[in-house]
Amino acid sequence: MDEGDYPITWLVDAAAAGNEQAWQEIVDRYTPLLTSVIRRFRLSVAETQDVAQTVWLRLVEHLSSLREPRALPTWIITTSKRESLRYLSDRRRSVPYDPLDPSWLARSSEDADPGAELLRAERHEALLAGLAELPSRQRELLLLLVEEPPLSYAQISKRTGVPVGSIGPTRGRALARLRETFAFREHLAGPARVSVVADGANGAHPATRIQRKRGDGRDAATLG
Amino acid sequence: MAVTQQRWDEDEHLLDDLRDALREAAPLAGTLAEHGKGAYAWRTVDADLLLASLSFDSSLERVQERRSDPDDDRVLVFTASPLSLELEVTPGHVAGQIVPPGPGEIRVETAEGVTFHVQADDVGFFDLPGQLRGLVRLRCDTPTGRLVTDWVRL
Repeated sequence: MDEGDYPITWLVDAAAAGNEQAWQEIVDRYTPLLTSVIRRFRLSVAETQDVAQTVWLRLVEHLSSLREPRALPTWIITTSKRESLRYLSDRRRSVPYDPLDPSWLARSSEDADPGAELLRAERHEALLAGLAELPSRQRELLLLLVEEPPLSYAQISKRTGVPVGSIGPTRGRALARLRETFAFREHLAGPARVSVVADGANGAHPATRIQRKRGDGRDAATLG
Repeated sequence: MAVTQQRWDEDEHLLDDLRDALREAAPLAGTLAEHGKGAYAWRTVDADLLLASLSFDSSLERVQERRSDPDDDRVLVFTASPLSLELEVTPGHVAGQIVPPGPGEIRVETAEGVTFHVQADDVGFFDLPGQLRGLVRLRCDTPTGRLVTDWVRL
């Protein structure tokens, strides 16, 4: 993994075949996208962690069905949305947000326009899915370049080993590559196509409910 | 998207938007990545095991229909071929059925590492402890085949 230049399809195949390092690389690359999607649903920190855990665990078993480069980000986005929605629908968890979580304050002013918010969310998805496709060195450089508070080129050079004079051109190449990623091209090619609710390919309603004939008089609750 | 494209043609704008996109994810990303890496330990290594995907979840349907009835039971369907599993979750009870109906053994796994078995009857019905909650998956062993369901949070 030193070169960090493995395409997503290779990583997915390798992780499906038992290469744990490939899995870790997938997790590193796609965590920002996963986190960003879940955060949009205004879940608390604990709920966000719950949803992420569900998505990761499920993804481990689904790797072998995700052969196309774009299949992985699409799967992550769809599954995170569904699981977040499920959390929202659950009346048992009635606390809408974590008051100790400072990011809520920062975001509260953006609630005014849901349409703009959706477009913004889709831009973020494209940016983060695109970032995940980049080779590690380019991805790491871009992450350092957008760090807050900003780092100087000297600091970035020290962390990456890229000479100060090369950071500008390297940055340019990384951004050019970002514009060429599947995620970017797909986002720029089409109109907003992801509707949060209509997107869920929730299958047909099962024809029958589970109706157990309780001839034995046993109370299931006592099993616990 | 033309506006976005024009905006992203500029390096500075593209970096600004990237910074914006990462800002919300950054505080939690470290923790979530750590959990993600640990998830690999749960990988099943068994070529004959069918993966039954969560194909229906009535709690999602509630959201889609803008309906909220806390008294509704939650119905979950995990689909594989030729074997599927249905679960019905009510406040005090979790019941399930193997489809097509037939006997089998059900093994419940929780993400906390607890596992236990229950037996499905001749038509595939089984009961799970009513207070079973959290992240779980079911393994099902029948004469027709063996399956493991998607992880699901009850």
